[in-house]
Amino acid sequence: MRAAIAAHQAGADVVVVGKRFKKDAHTVLAAGGINAVLGSRDPEDSWQQHFADTMKEGYYLADPRAVEILVREAPQAVVELADWGCDFARLPDGQLDQRYFGAHKYRRTCYAGDYTGRAIIETLADKVEELKIPVIDYQYVTRLLVTDNTCFGAMSFNIHSGERTVFLADAVILAAGGHTRLWRRSSSRRDENTGDGMYLALQAGAEIADMELVQFHPTGMVAPETWAGTLVTEAVRGEGGRLFNAKGERFMEHYDAERMELSTRDRVALANYTEIIEGRGGPNGGVFLDISHQPKEFIVEKLPRMYRQFLESQMVDISKEAMEVAPTAHYSMGGVVIEPETHATRVTGLYAAGEVTSGVHGANRLGGNSLAEILVFGRIAAESAVEHSRDLRVQLRAPEVIHAAHADLDALIRPGEELARPLQRAVRNTMWQNCGVVRNEEGLRRALGRLSELREAAKLVDVRPSSEGWQDLAIALDLRASLTAAEATVLGALERRETRGAHNRSDYAERDQELQSTFVIAQDGDELTVSRRPLEAVPDELIAWLNDEEYQVAGRLLE
Amino acid sequence: MATNGTVKVELRVRRYNPERDEKPYWGSFEMEAEPEDRVLDLLHHVQWYLDGTLAMRRSCAHGVCGSDAMRINGQNMLACKALVKNLVRGGKGRIQVEPIYGMRVIKDLIVDMEPFMEHYRSVMPYFVNDEPAPENGRERLQSPEDRERFDEATKCILCAACTTSCPSYWANGTYVGPAAIVQAHRFIFDSRDKAGKDRLAILSQENGVWRCRTIFNCTTACPREIPVTQLIAEVKGAM
Repeated sequence: MRAAIAAHQAGADVVVVGKRFKKDAHTVLAAGGINAVLGSRDPEDSWQQHFADTMKEGYYLADPRAVEILVREAPQAVVELADWGCDFARLPDGQLDQRYFGAHKYRRTCYAGDYTGRAIIETLADKVEELKIPVIDYQYVTRLLVTDNTCFGAMSFNIHSGERTVFLADAVILAAGGHTRLWRRSSSRRDENTGDGMYLALQAGAEIADMELVQFHPTGMVAPETWAGTLVTEAVRGEGGRLFNAKGERFMEHYDAERMELSTRDRVALANYTEIIEGRGGPNGGVFLDISHQPKEFIVEKLPRMYRQFLESQMVDISKEAMEVAPTAHYSMGGVVIEPETHATRVTGLYAAGEVTSGVHGANRLGGNSLAEILVFGRIAAESAVEHSRDLRVQLRAPEVIHAAHADLDALIRPGEELARPLQRAVRNTMWQNCGVVRNEEGLRRALGRLSELREAAKLVDVRPSSEGWQDLAIALDLRASLTAAEATVLGALERRETRGAHNRSDYAERDQELQSTFVIAQDGDELTVSRRPLEAVPDELIAWLNDEEYQVAGRLLE
Repeated sequence: MATNGTVKVELRVRRYNPERDEKPYWGSFEMEAEPEDRVLDLLHHVQWYLDGTLAMRRSCAHGVCGSDAMRINGQNMLACKALVKNLVRGGKGRIQVEPIYGMRVIKDLIVDMEPFMEHYRSVMPYFVNDEPAPENGRERLQSPEDRERFDEATKCILCAACTTSCPSYWANGTYVGPAAIVQAHRFIFDSRDKAGKDRLAILSQENGVWRCRTIFNCTTACPREIPVTQLIAEVKGAM
């Protein structure tokens, strides 16, 4: 929506197409905040410091050009959003309040209660409403229309009625989220983040990169089934929560004796995962997060959402009992390869922004950067797309490409012997078991084998939409996309023979300086190819800002 | 995990397929449920295992998106927030689910939301301030107290539970309804916004706030616990 606003303001005709209601993008679930160096709390903060914090947290795998653009432009993006009415929290003198979040040196995270993402989406949706930009909801995009390496639109169908629409456009901006729902436990909700954005880009001829770099949040719920993966905020640990295994040991002693439960996200996730995998987990395959030593009033005041969440879902009173939790796939650092300055892909007329892209987060995302990213790069992608459109002399059309997109859907709709949902679940189990928080060569090879079996089975999927709905087709398409995204992830994980940030290889436990590069995946016929590409160097004037100082994360855990 | 054992539920669902049925009828499904199951889980159970033709909207399943407002045991709520244990006492009981009232039924639990969105759009539900921004490139200032003033109204998720529980709205669909007034409140009481007068002018017309008869159904229905009736009274007071 930020892209749509920018495109509209630059004078282009734009239409927003999405598979959900417009105020229901996954951003609504983001709680913590949005980073911008405004210095309203800490005037000594600078964009250079934000740059350094982002690069370090990303274990030097982020693209320095993208990071520089992000940190330099985030303040303007946040002020602009406030100026459009966003209800960020304020300081007594009227300025935007800022707080600590994770591994930041200074306080630079703006927030609106524990619903920052929703506040941002609503502001953008209101703006879209004011500008009368058309939003077409419930459209599942099945293919980007490309001829001669040029994108000229997209094919979609209405998930309620099945009616197809061919959108013809000078440029397409892909803002379709990540692939975290490929894991059995995921903070993504049902049927979202299935990797369909990455799949569309690959099909169109664009490249994707760093798919193996997936952030696991250390604490997600494990039960009941419908809640599995839902986040248990890190603030529970921030407020004194302790982690125990089934034997009652406070195991963080073995992983980070100094900071204990207040260690970094990747380390706590690794610790929880190891305890569970090595058989010291609880009845639902989790470890125990206990805050019951704090008084009930304290818990209800500081953690009201969590108190209610457990009471409602499990009838567990967290002031009396421990919560059972396990790591949960949370954020895709990798995705579509774009030029940082323009957010253009290598396909003419195709742009991408947000979680669907790669580059700005490296091997571990700095908390609060993803909300900044959608604003800054949404705008940049749109401005480049408008410029491209303005310079066009001819509008390309290719009927045979449109016919092929129809034929693709026609071929999927038929009775079959397999059901998509169980196969999707098998993909998620495979990824969880073999390509989870900790990976190794043997497991990854096993995953590849299993994925190719599932791909065969997926060819026989039963799709019989009717007047009752077209969910069948959407789920079958999700499955097809997920299989490709999963394969790309496993291929990347195999090549990255090192441990860095969110990527842990038990067979290569050290960081390898040689591998400070990205792994790029492209589609060649039916095959995915992997190649290694060096990273851009950090500009000389910024190198001095990078040092290995580590910050205490105590008091900075928000999401 | 603490549970009180399963509950035997008869789920009665108001069904209607305009392509086939002359008028709506009750469908009935028997099932075992956990006390902490939500009505949405029961409806999923029907859809996935008992009768795939059941139509409803749902998306986030966590009370954020507002797509599954329904009339459950006579009261509007979100299916994803309605727990079996609060609807059925003892080991056995009936849960009755209907589409929200006052709207055209498209199929089963799905209603046509367009008139509702039309009312929402009519109150200028967006921030207006055409004065130049501060020249230093910084934000317009706002005190925490001024920020607090419209806090309740920002919680609205446009689920329509309030508007479709309002007898005034049932009686006259041209009334903008509580949800639209809450949306207007959010901007009227934002110290930075400059179009409060325009919104008040819209809401003082015959289909505006004065059709509210302080029945409080909206406040009871709101899944976000917004004091809707109070906010409407504040808008009336600002006239």
